[in-house]
Amino acid sequence: MRDLDLPGKLFIVEGVDGSGKSTQLDLLHKWLVSQGYLVVFSEWNSSPIVQSTTRRGKKRRLLSPMSFSLIHAADFASRTNAHILPALNAGAVVLADRYVYTAFARDAVRGVNRDWLRRLYSFALKPTLAFYYDVPLGEAIRRILDGRPSLKYYEAGLDMNLSSDAEESFALYQGLIKREYDRLVEEFGLVRMDATENLILQQQRMRGMIEPYLEGVARPDDGALNEALLDGGLLGRYLTPRFR
Amino acid sequence: MTELRFFGFRPPGIEGQSLPGRLVVIEATDGVGRSTQVALLKEWLEDEGYAVLDTGLRRSDLAGPGIERAKQGHTLDPITLNLFYATDFWDRLERLIIPGLRAGMVVIADRYVFSLIARAAVRGVSERWLEQLYGFALIPDRVIYLDIDAEQLLPRVLRRGGFDYWESGMDFIRGPNVHDNFMQYQRMLLAEFRKLAVRHDFTVIDARGSVAKIFRGLRTEVEDVVSGMGLESVGAGESDAFTLPESAAPSG
Repeated sequence: MRDLDLPGKLFIVEGVDGSGKSTQLDLLHKWLVSQGYLVVFSEWNSSPIVQSTTRRGKKRRLLSPMSFSLIHAADFASRTNAHILPALNAGAVVLADRYVYTAFARDAVRGVNRDWLRRLYSFALKPTLAFYYDVPLGEAIRRILDGRPSLKYYEAGLDMNLSSDAEESFALYQGLIKREYDRLVEEFGLVRMDATENLILQQQRMRGMIEPYLEGVARPDDGALNEALLDGGLLGRYLTPRFR
Repeated sequence: MTELRFFGFRPPGIEGQSLPGRLVVIEATDGVGRSTQVALLKEWLEDEGYAVLDTGLRRSDLAGPGIERAKQGHTLDPITLNLFYATDFWDRLERLIIPGLRAGMVVIADRYVFSLIARAAVRGVSERWLEQLYGFALIPDRVIYLDIDAEQLLPRVLRRGGFDYWESGMDFIRGPNVHDNFMQYQRMLLAEFRKLAVRHDFTVIDARGSVAKIFRGLRTEVEDVVSGMGLESVGAGESDAFTLPESAAPSG
């Protein structure tokens, strides 16, 4: 991975489904915005150029371990070059829900060569801090199955033929992923967070760890619009949601 | 027999040691007349009694439509575009080329990973990264490269209907003079192809001559690759089991 030598900062979260990582990142996001930082959020699998192909592959079950790996790499490359890198150049705080480690874990359990994966993603930017939300497997599975009527094919790892029962397959698949994450925590120095702890405490801990890295990061003044509204006694009723 | 050997490593899901078919790759830059040669070659091989499968870039079920869409606009950096093509290539390798070879067919690949490496390399993507990326590609029985200079390419491209945006490298070469862009881009690309030709031991055919002359050269090479195929025994069950995906059916 390329070292991050740019004005912005990059914080990412990783963890199995149901670890609560997205909740923590969302809380962090809101806090950073309230502190006046310019925050850019990037989600796994969200490049407008690649998304439709991934969706097609999943819907029609065309994805094998290698095409699953390659199409996600394309998505990641697109987001890196069109979204993450320009934002970091502009001095923003970039938050990513899942990063290269998700690909390392998911592809490795599907039998893709680990060294090849690391070289494949060598264009990625090294995060300022990477958090791994660690949760006992049973707890993660309970959280997911409680809130979801049915599991999707690839989400449940059904492509791996671990079991024909979706829930059982999901549990086995998540177990393999979790073991892979344990290796990655060692290899890449991810910060292990206890995801069974009280949510508020988890968030405090996360903020505490991030704060030292925010020193000197720009907080661009976006008060110009608010000032205009105040001056005119306006509510901004017709502004697009982005500006409200 | 095509030995199941890969440039870098054996990708997951591919079994076996050798395949009864043959994989012939035709590489060349844009506008040489590659598609014409592939069409002639396919007909000739079929007339000789071989079962032939031809495949080309962007024809995969999975990624073909997505690449076409992506090339219409948006900010598309060379790494993303290359990984998109890599997905398309892998999908065809896994679901078309290898099954075809397993069934004992002659597979003609109209371009292979070399075109993808050359195009990305001239756009500044690391060659080492590219060669490692395509480590999952099957080593073909023969790579035939149709060699030409940019100057000789020009009339063919004009006759065909003029300059194409991507074939003129206009996504990264600036300036309003399309002719100059085309020449500059094709020279860079040809230099890259020639480097690859040495490194990967291409069979080079001079493509400056007539269609008939090029085809004679091509036929001699392919004859050599397929000779003896009829004498090898093919597991009958294997070839019976193979049916082509819809997308591979001959078009137009």
